Amino acid sequence: MGLLEIRDLHVAYGKIEALRGIDLDVAEGEIVALLGSNGAGKTTTLRTISGLLRPRSGQVLFAGTEVNRLRAHEIVALGLGHVPEGRRIFSSLTVDENLKLGGFLLRKRPNELTRRAQSLYETFPRLYERRTQLAGTLSGGEQQMLAIARALVLKPKLLILDEPSMGLAPKLVHMIFSIISKIRAEGVSILVVEQNARQALRTADRAYVLESGRIALAGPARELASDRRVRAAYLGGDATAAG
Amino acid sequence: MSTFFQLVIEGLTIGSFYSLVALGYTMVYGIIRLINFAHGDLFMVGAFIGWTVLTTLAATHVPWGLGLLAALVIAMLLTAVLGVAIEKVAYEPLLRSSRLSILITALGVSLALENGVLLIYGPGFNTYPHLLTQAGFSIGGVEINDAQIGMMLLSFLLMLGLYIFVHHTFVGTAMRALAVDQDAARLMGIDVENVIRLTFLLGALLAAAAGVMEGVYYTQINFFMGFLLGLRAFTAAVLGGIGNIPGAMAGGLLIGLLEAFGAGYISSRWTDVFVFAVLIIVLAVKPTGLFGERVVERM
Amino acid sequence: MTNIAATRRGVPYAIAAASILAVVVLPFVSSSYVIDVATTIITFAVLGLGLNIVVGYAGLLDLGYAAFFAIGAYTTALLETLGHQPFWVTLPFSILFAAISGIIIGYPTLRLRSDYLAIVTLGFGEITRIVATNLGITGGPNGIYGIASPTFFGHALASPRAVYELGLGFLAVVLVFTSRLTRTRLGRAWISIREDETAAEAIGIPTLKVKMLAYVMGAVVGGFGGSFFAARFGAIDPTSFTYLQSVTILIIVVLGGMGSTPGVMLGAAIVAGLPEALRFLQLWREFVFAIGLVVLMLVRPQGMWPAPLRRRVTLPPLAAEDESLVPIAVEPGTSDVLLEVDGLSRNFGGVRAVNGVRFGIRRGEILSIIGPNGAGKTTVFNCLTGVIRPTSGRISWLGSSIVGLAPHRVVGLGLSRTFQGVRLFANMTVYENVLVGMEPRYRTSIPAAVLGLHAASEEDRRHLLSCRRLLRFVGLEERAGERAGDLPYGDQRRLEIARALASEPRLLLLDEPAAGMNPTEKRDLMGLIRRIRDGGITVVLIEHDMMLVMGVSDRIIVMDHGEVIAEGTPAEVQRNDRVIDAYLGDDEQETDGELRQEELSAWDS
Repeated sequence: MGLLEIRDLHVAYGKIEALRGIDLDVAEGEIVALLGSNGAGKTTTLRTISGLLRPRSGQVLFAGTEVNRLRAHEIVALGLGHVPEGRRIFSSLTVDENLKLGGFLLRKRPNELTRRAQSLYETFPRLYERRTQLAGTLSGGEQQMLAIARALVLKPKLLILDEPSMGLAPKLVHMIFSIISKIRAEGVSILVVEQNARQALRTADRAYVLESGRIALAGPARELASDRRVRAAYLGGDATAAG
Repeated sequence: MSTFFQLVIEGLTIGSFYSLVALGYTMVYGIIRLINFAHGDLFMVGAFIGWTVLTTLAATHVPWGLGLLAALVIAMLLTAVLGVAIEKVAYEPLLRSSRLSILITALGVSLALENGVLLIYGPGFNTYPHLLTQAGFSIGGVEINDAQIGMMLLSFLLMLGLYIFVHHTFVGTAMRALAVDQDAARLMGIDVENVIRLTFLLGALLAAAAGVMEGVYYTQINFFMGFLLGLRAFTAAVLGGIGNIPGAMAGGLLIGLLEAFGAGYISSRWTDVFVFAVLIIVLAVKPTGLFGERVVERM
Repeated sequence: MTNIAATRRGVPYAIAAASILAVVVLPFVSSSYVIDVATTIITFAVLGLGLNIVVGYAGLLDLGYAAFFAIGAYTTALLETLGHQPFWVTLPFSILFAAISGIIIGYPTLRLRSDYLAIVTLGFGEITRIVATNLGITGGPNGIYGIASPTFFGHALASPRAVYELGLGFLAVVLVFTSRLTRTRLGRAWISIREDETAAEAIGIPTLKVKMLAYVMGAVVGGFGGSFFAARFGAIDPTSFTYLQSVTILIIVVLGGMGSTPGVMLGAAIVAGLPEALRFLQLWREFVFAIGLVVLMLVRPQGMWPAPLRRRVTLPPLAAEDESLVPIAVEPGTSDVLLEVDGLSRNFGGVRAVNGVRFGIRRGEILSIIGPNGAGKTTVFNCLTGVIRPTSGRISWLGSSIVGLAPHRVVGLGLSRTFQGVRLFANMTVYENVLVGMEPRYRTSIPAAVLGLHAASEEDRRHLLSCRRLLRFVGLEERAGERAGDLPYGDQRRLEIARALASEPRLLLLDEPAAGMNPTEKRDLMGLIRRIRDGGITVVLIEHDMMLVMGVSDRIIVMDHGEVIAEGTPAEVQRNDRVIDAYLGDDEQETDGELRQEELSAWDS
């Protein structure tokens, strides 16, 4: 049984259909990439999984529970971590407060929370150095680190990331993806929406390509990376010599 | 000079009531961007519940200190329940509608509370038992009575409590977080609707406390008192920078002082003109209020 | 003729006819009590229609509207009792003084965010009332009495029926005035501001001025209503001009339906009439009314009679084969460079979004700016169009600096844009969106439009024709009467382009025009972009779709990390190593997964 199973999902904003019946699975321990151009429905998919949007029809099964009708914080409690697009850190709160909020559901167990925060600070020493600063003063890369760290405090079963490389320098992009691989090695499954298709396909096991609210292509990442259509649309055109 | 300090004491006492009520306006605005017009009426409801408890107990032989405490606690609790009920029934269904429809609903709730109290208690003034002595002390010709000290102290403690709650507890942090970004807060596992209700609860607690204190201090209460005080408290919240908790506290004290000075040096008839003129000038110069945080610029 | 008819278009007319009949017959069949209540409803309807301009159309929250009502009433009362002027002479002064106070209070405050505006207007309302209560000349708390009834050709209008009919006359004037006003381009501009102020400014609406006009027009109607109020009762005092009165008028507008004329009148009937109908409840009346108000808002948050879309439009005919864009006169340029950017930087908090960017835009080219999300491309667009101010750097348009100009001025110079996320005025129709975009081209005045002067209607016709042309150009002619927010993504994108073209720009900036489009739509878009350029308009686009970018661009600028890292033809850019590294990616870097292992080693818990 997959960790995440999406069946025939339709989502609409008013009369506009953003998702027109998509099927998507993430198995335990997998890294799955969701590709597509801006406006194709990637963010909508992620927001529906985490309960920020209600589907018009269809089903989202997470860890064996149907979560369509659950509220976002209940889905978090089931083991879903979501790093939203644009990081969305709480800019007027300190780094430490941001990180601790990631463990909001552990607030009755302060010792455990402190232990986990400590362990994440060891992973991201930069955040530890800046823990008393307002999060809004961090650099873009640091903010992304914080957003990821914050989503890991509860040790989610599935981590979904929305454009984690947005606005980051190439070196940092590589680093983010190494972190993603590392998180998977800890047993966390991953669903990542990414614009840097090449990088995403290199890290992922499988990938889906979303086009105008439908799954246009799906398959093992390696196969998709050499697919002519994918190369043309997302990897810089088939004329690209370097491709 | 002694007049000046007398006015300062006077102003800070009234101002501390304004601050307590302004906090409710500012917290609710900070979180759901609603000017909660019914908030001033919660202050009034608190005053009436306190009056009911006190007059009921006055018939028994409960010591007045204990009676006062009971009035304060019961008024705060019942008003808090009312505040949360209002949020749940009248505001929550409209949280995703246009902001004006929820504003009009708040106006409707305000009218309902005023007329509800009017129906129960009648249109006239109800008089609190005279519990406070005029006893006090005098420093350099400035008369300070014990009641004023007590009021300011209690207000200060309540505000301190709120500040500690908001800035040093987990739920308080969650509250500040969802004022920044509701969806991100949901993704942290925070039950946003619950925290919103909690905000209304806290605001109602403070408003009711201010209501009972006002009743004890001025002894005269009526169904319309929440409107006038609410107006000034709301002004205080804007003056301090709406959404900003220390700003509301300072704004309340400042309005109290302006009112006292306006009444002392100009004329009480012109007090509100004075207060609003200052507000308009402040906003023209500093559009986000005296302590307003600058809105974070986004790309 | 394209005639897009609303469904059941006969119904509103039937209701209107029935209401007019009822209103005219009423005084002949009712008691003076009923006539009196009806006159009150009329007064509130007048005030509601005035506030509707401010709140319903322009979306500005005003909590002190009763001040204008007071100013009108006191002006009439004082001029009559002290100046011994007849009512009709006082009327223009009421309007004038209300307008002046509108300007005085509006000018410094309309820059504020809407909620601050609410408290400032509230304060203004209170100040007005307190001044009236405390001044000797206004009669203090007792007010002014002994105001003579107005006369009409020698007849004193004193009986309830005469006053009622006078009120109807006032209402009719206000109805005609507001409905004509809101049908002009000013009305459209107000709605556009309510829908999305930033977008409105960015497509050429001078938002401050337009908001000011809304405020002043609302004030004028308020003053007008105040005069009637003074004449009706012959006596006024400050208790009629309280904050509660302002709030009541606001309730009328929101409860009725913002921006909806029949809604406001229905709202007035409910708010002024329902308490009368509830008299049997005695003490419970106000309470029941308040609860009723809450329930009505919960049941119908959009109001009792929300404003309908203006679907009906008669676009002037256009020859079937005419598919050209409005011909742009390509004037002989002094230089080949339209726009020059040098040293452009912009910081957000601690993040440097754009850092020393330098490039030029040549006349007649299609230039693409590419780079990863967050590279600073949109920030560059926002700086060029005046939406945000650069931290430093120079931007010159045909040789003169445009840094610091308001966005609508930049549009006026010939720089137009679309937005990354679609920012249409969703609750306006397709053709109205385009018409709003034509604001910088209007030459006739608003009064001319209100009066229906020939020059104005001629200009309207011309713009409607050009609107049709633009809609045909982007392929949306058939959808002119639909709600913009209901269009599919691809159509919304194209409508945004039409709206941006409506100002007849010389340079068009497109921010991710292909986002959300399917491959067919993208191909069509490529054709559209070429046709725009062939029409004489230079095009700059931010885009991620490489097929589109490589297929359509003459030149490409690549940004990363707020800096320009490459520039050249599509072929050159594709070969550039820095570009491949930063954006397009490179297959040879397979091993970099091991990068920074030391930073990651402590991942355990």
